[in-house]
Amino acid sequence: MLSGDDKLVERCLQGDDYAWEMLVNSYGKRIYNLGYRYTNRRDEAEDLTQDILIRVYQNLKSYRAESGSFQNWILRVARNLVIDRYRQVRRFPQAGGSEELETMNIQDEKVPNPQRAAEQLEASAFLQSGLQSLSPELKEAIILRDLEGMAYSDMAEMLNVPEGTVKSRINRGRLELAKLLTKRRTQLGMKA
Amino acid sequence: MECSKIEQWLSEYLESSLPAEETEHVTNHLKTCPACSALLAEMRSVRTMCDSYPVLELDPDFVERILLRTSGRPRTRPFRERLTQYFVRPLFTPRFAVGASLATLFLAFMIPRLPGVVSTVSPQGLLRLLDRGVSQLYGEGLKAYEAKNEWQEQFNRLKNNTWNSLRSIMEQMDGPVEGRKKQNDGEPRKENAPKEKSSGVLVSTSSPA
Repeated sequence: MLSGDDKLVERCLQGDDYAWEMLVNSYGKRIYNLGYRYTNRRDEAEDLTQDILIRVYQNLKSYRAESGSFQNWILRVARNLVIDRYRQVRRFPQAGGSEELETMNIQDEKVPNPQRAAEQLEASAFLQSGLQSLSPELKEAIILRDLEGMAYSDMAEMLNVPEGTVKSRINRGRLELAKLLTKRRTQLGMKA
Repeated sequence: MECSKIEQWLSEYLESSLPAEETEHVTNHLKTCPACSALLAEMRSVRTMCDSYPVLELDPDFVERILLRTSGRPRTRPFRERLTQYFVRPLFTPRFAVGASLATLFLAFMIPRLPGVVSTVSPQGLLRLLDRGVSQLYGEGLKAYEAKNEWQEQFNRLKNNTWNSLRSIMEQMDGPVEGRKKQNDGEPRKENAPKEKSSGVLVSTSSPA
């Protein structure tokens, strides 16, 4: 039986443009955020999102429902393109940071007051810089698990590595971030 | 147990997905090791940060650009957006304000007369009356439109005249400066000119005599 996404893909392949629009609405935001977390830049994230969605549109025919979910397929396409781009430029520029976070169009209903907002901004800036200091594998593991909320099995399928490796990378990534946080707190003279 | 071994399990311990035996080892170790306890607390903080990490919104214009570059079909506007675009936004235009004012005037003019008119006039007569009223209103509207055009024309004329006057004043203000400059450059002793001229006149009037 076909899932909702698979039906949309089928309709899309039959020339239904509205079905494609629905897919873009479902995954566009997620891919954009994924791109931003990898690159730390909004302009790069927009370029990536556009390139990824164009590639997905051009390669929809190659998607096979029996070999995995559409979500994993589209995220795999996204990841491959991000890695290609990463190889081209070696590393993404570090611009952005807290200044960019301050000006970006964010949706966060959990922020009740300015103090909380400032704390969150600080935490997000730390997380961004911390992620950029991790190795690509660890960074990817943290993004997919802790920011995207992917299951271990989906990550293993997408990254084409055993589940144990995924868990190990996540653990190492978290440990490194935790140590960075300790270091930062020590520098600022704060307690955990 | 060594801290490095415990560190390998901390992530799964945090997610409560570690098998019971290992969980017990970690719990016992944490009771006696402040370093690992602090590390676990920081890992927990990192996870909290990840949970509250902001989500970026996608700009609808950007989605439109992607759709136009792929399927070539523009974005479908949601009902609310269409409502705003076609009904709410036009309400705040001058055209609507003029229309609403005219309609109010028309109603204010017609409603007090309506009971008397209705009692005396037949439905056909009432319709004719309404038609006449609408025609009259339309005529008044046209007159107002023409008057507006006339005012606009007068205003433009006034604006142009003012502008031309200002320009000529500025040119006059610039003129003497240029004149002085020329005077200084070309004719260093211009102040003698009136004398020469007057002497010339004297010469010309006196010579025939």
